[in-house]
Amino acid sequence: MTDMLVSLGTWNWLIFGFILMALETIAPGVFLFWLGLAALLVGLISFAVAMSWQIQLVMFAIFAAAAVPVWRRLARPKPDASASPFLNKRTEALLGREFTLEKPIIDGSGTVRIGDTVWRVAGPDTPAGTRVKVVQVEGANLTVAAA
Amino acid sequence: MSGFDIFAIVLVLLVIVTLLAGVKTVPQGYDWTIERFGKYTQTLSPGLNLIVPYFDRVGRKINMMEQVIDIPEQEVITKDNATVTVDGVAFYQVFDAAKASYEVSNLNQAITVLTMTNIRSVMGSMDLDQVLSHRDEINERLLRVVDAAVSPWGVKVNRIEIKDIVPPADLVEAMGRQMKAERVKRADILAAEGQRQSEILRAEGAKQGQILQAEGRKEAAFRDAEARERSAEAEAKATQMVSDAIAKGDVAALNYFIADKYIKAFGQLADSPNQKVIMLPVEAMSMLGSLAGIGEIAKATFGESAASAAAAARRGSVPTGSTPPAVPPR
Repeated sequence: MTDMLVSLGTWNWLIFGFILMALETIAPGVFLFWLGLAALLVGLISFAVAMSWQIQLVMFAIFAAAAVPVWRRLARPKPDASASPFLNKRTEALLGREFTLEKPIIDGSGTVRIGDTVWRVAGPDTPAGTRVKVVQVEGANLTVAAA
Repeated sequence: MSGFDIFAIVLVLLVIVTLLAGVKTVPQGYDWTIERFGKYTQTLSPGLNLIVPYFDRVGRKINMMEQVIDIPEQEVITKDNATVTVDGVAFYQVFDAAKASYEVSNLNQAITVLTMTNIRSVMGSMDLDQVLSHRDEINERLLRVVDAAVSPWGVKVNRIEIKDIVPPADLVEAMGRQMKAERVKRADILAAEGQRQSEILRAEGAKQGQILQAEGRKEAAFRDAEARERSAEAEAKATQMVSDAIAKGDVAALNYFIADKYIKAFGQLADSPNQKVIMLPVEAMSMLGSLAGIGEIAKATFGESAASAAAAARRGSVPTGSTPPAVPPR
């Protein structure tokens, strides 16, 4: 085994790199992909420049660590990249929509009926029956203003 | 193995472990809370996230999907002291992972217990009949109370449904009997009402018939009376005219009428099919006497000319069959 690893030499890095990238698809977590890329990079460099295996390991570690900030810059998550951006964000979907106050807002708290449930809303004191607009969403708390 | 060898191996392991600790992939439908030295700092939303390794730790993994909890069966005493067994379901969704993680210690249990106690208080303020027929109202009241109570936990209760309300068996049986009695009562009342209606209609018909009959009789009597009046009038008029005629003319005219009627009556006797033999009283022959009267009338009527004509006839050969000229009808 050790003989084989030694005899393969630089090829080890390339094989290791591709195995890591393949593993990435099975156990998703993205970072295995970066480790694989780092391994490939070390392999390519060691083809060009002869290095001891220790140096190669240290290089691999440095590349792997460096991958994170590079990847973070390249693949900055776009907030609206999802096909349904409001998945599990029911309240955010309500932002800007108008409803009729079911119970008046007294001391900053009233209710509106949305769908078949009742939502408590915060806002300036308003009589029942007024059209209000959702202006702010925070968790399950909706803030409304007269529409 | 040299120190550098070990250092290189350990460094690689350290980098791998660090990457493992720092890269967090949060699945859709979940939010993860991050604690720095045990204190909440931020919430990770679905997708790829980086945290600072060694400092940050994933705290709670909160399910952000709408969830359903079964509210276990419990006995509730209604306002009118009936014991009913009630269970239900509650749907809730977490909107604030941090509050749901740290403001309440066991969210599911808290919501369950809260709902159960509120079911007791809402249903305990209602009569059994109301409890059985106002399920929507119960659900609504429960929803309002429980939703308000859970809001500090960053949770919204979307719906609470009472699933089953089971009154005790003997009560169910009594309710069945009550319902049956109610229906029987209604049927009886309806039947009686029908009978009453029909009898009224029948009596009304009879009354109407009698009225109409009486009216007919009355009308007929009126007409009869009128007819009699008219005929009396006519008789009176005729008599008047006859008596006028008599007063103006001769008494012998009277005889003519009598004789006329007499002969007609006689003729009718003769016409009658089963009367071939006619017995005449002797006085009947006196009728013939009236013929003399007729002659006198004729004389009186036609005056001298007639008399001379008659004389001429007597002298000449006037055929015996010729009758005296007819008296003009009155």
